Amino acid sequence: MNWDWDKLQDKRKRTGPPGAPDFAQLNEQLNKLKSIKLPGGGKIVFLVLLLLWLASGIYIVNPDELGVVQRFGAFHRITDPGPHFRIPFPFESVETPKVTQVRRFEIGFRTIERTAVAGSQPQFRVVPEESHMLTGDENIVDVQFIVQYQVSDPVKFLFNIQMPDASVKSGAEAAMREVIGYNMLDAALTDGRPAIQDETRDLLQTIMDRYESGIRILAVQLQDVRPPEPVIDSFRDVVRAREDAVRIQNQAEAYRNDIVPRARGEAAVIINQAEAHKDSVVRRAEGEAQRFLSMLAEYNQAPDVTRTRLYLETMEEVLSNPELMKTIISDNALSQVLPFLPLQNITPQASTRENPSRSMQQDYQPAPAQSASPSVRGGRAQ
Amino acid sequence: MKTPKLNLPVILVALFVGFLVVTQSAYIVDERERAIVLQLGKPVGTAKEPGLHFKLPFVQNVLFFDARILDYDSRPAEILTRDKKNMMVDNFTKWRITDPLQFYTTLRTLPMGQARLDDIVYAELRVLLGQHTMTEVITTKRSQIMEELTLKSNELVKEFGIEVIDVRIKRTDLPTETQRAVFNRMIAEREREAMTYRAEGEETAANIRSMADRERVILIAQANRTSQQVRGEGDAEAIRIFGGALSQNPDFYEYLRNLEAYKKTMGANTQVILTPSSPFLRLLQEK
Repeated sequence: MNWDWDKLQDKRKRTGPPGAPDFAQLNEQLNKLKSIKLPGGGKIVFLVLLLLWLASGIYIVNPDELGVVQRFGAFHRITDPGPHFRIPFPFESVETPKVTQVRRFEIGFRTIERTAVAGSQPQFRVVPEESHMLTGDENIVDVQFIVQYQVSDPVKFLFNIQMPDASVKSGAEAAMREVIGYNMLDAALTDGRPAIQDETRDLLQTIMDRYESGIRILAVQLQDVRPPEPVIDSFRDVVRAREDAVRIQNQAEAYRNDIVPRARGEAAVIINQAEAHKDSVVRRAEGEAQRFLSMLAEYNQAPDVTRTRLYLETMEEVLSNPELMKTIISDNALSQVLPFLPLQNITPQASTRENPSRSMQQDYQPAPAQSASPSVRGGRAQ
Repeated sequence: MKTPKLNLPVILVALFVGFLVVTQSAYIVDERERAIVLQLGKPVGTAKEPGLHFKLPFVQNVLFFDARILDYDSRPAEILTRDKKNMMVDNFTKWRITDPLQFYTTLRTLPMGQARLDDIVYAELRVLLGQHTMTEVITTKRSQIMEELTLKSNELVKEFGIEVIDVRIKRTDLPTETQRAVFNRMIAEREREAMTYRAEGEETAANIRSMADRERVILIAQANRTSQQVRGEGDAEAIRIFGGALSQNPDFYEYLRNLEAYKKTMGANTQVILTPSSPFLRLLQEK
């Protein structure tokens, strides 16, 4: 019978968690340990059981944990990492929450498990009912963010709040929506993001402190803030429009860069042509002036003779041209014949009919007045 | 004097009785809970703090209540704001049983408590949000509304031994048709913005182009001006050089120039009628 009882006890120890009956019965045994003389075998079994029971009081707190010990259900003490002893069940129980571990969750999206292919990017799935938020200017944005938090006070964390993790999550959603609610769309999409992160983190921390949850919010990180799917094209078009504007301006700049240097070239050509003209005119003038002065120098040596010679040479040259039509006629005859001269045979441009002779005479008039005739006569005389 | 040797059946019976007594009288209240003792169905004494407690076996039993902050997430409700706009509001409530005895006498169970809480919070929410415009709900007065909601609900649940710690609006969504209207407005705004960018780009470009054209015209005009100036200078210089030379004997120059002109002008198709009185033919008359 004794054996049977011990066996039963033993079995109870081994299988499943020991219940209250065990406690009562063990207490009984403790009290009667000295007074009751059990058979030797029974005593040994009893001692072994006692030792086993005591051994179950040893627990180890890992470096990233703290031990929270409850005595009869009430919080009793916190133990640091390392091996510790507690009075075994049912006097004390221990829990070891992880206090250095950073917990995180995602809002607005979920990371889908990586595919088997190594090095592939993790896939994300948007959760629109979580990510759609209203901004202060009554626009809708898609906000995806993660929250990282830590247990800062294990006692509060364990005993103060039901579902602490879920509370952080719903609190985070509420906080983010509140912050997005008083920000404008453009700020949320662009440069307001750091501020939104900080404000949300502070607000969430305030909420968690209010619940005395023993949770410290480490970070709220916006992963992605973007316009919702139905309007994203129009936002992209704005970006494209900016690029278009830049492109159009660049084309105009290119046009300018093409046309202005060409114009400068044209201007240079015009000016160079002018300079060339100036140069050539001046040079020619210099040349002609030089020639004239040379001739004048010679002429001054013997003016009359030179004059006559030049006159005669010119006449010779002019009148020796075979294409020149020449008529020699006496003065008397001229006055009679003139009306009948075949002027119609003469081409229109030959209207210089009388001018040459006249001009020649005129031209020659001064010469004799000076010394032409004598010079000619003289010329002939010699 | 009893014999020191107890026989086994006696021990077993004693153990069993002791065991029964202990389990029926001792109880443990966890740190997360508060307990009340019922004697034949009636609450007696005060709420029990965590630790080891004893009660009378068989006539008293113990009820445990969660003493932590509890979460109640109500289902999303459609409400109407002051400016007659529909909104879906999803809120959650954080509450706690502060007085288990009170709670037990008024509401009995946790589900009952939640139902009552839901009624109160929901009603208050509708009333409060109905006093504000949508913009206020979403942005300016949001935290104020939540604060007020918490205070009011807390006031109303006091009698049940409950404390409302926080009522928070988690989501404020627009109904589908309103959402579509918002999307359309957003699209329109962006289109306007895009158009403005493009138009401004065109404007700048047109500016640059016309400035370039203008620059070209100016450059060429200036070049022409300079060119005329230079040409004029050249011509003036030429005249000056000539004049300087010719003025030494204008008469001779005239004579030379005349001769040269005859050479140039009298060529083909020119009819020259000469009379012997012409100086050139003078010798023909001399006998």
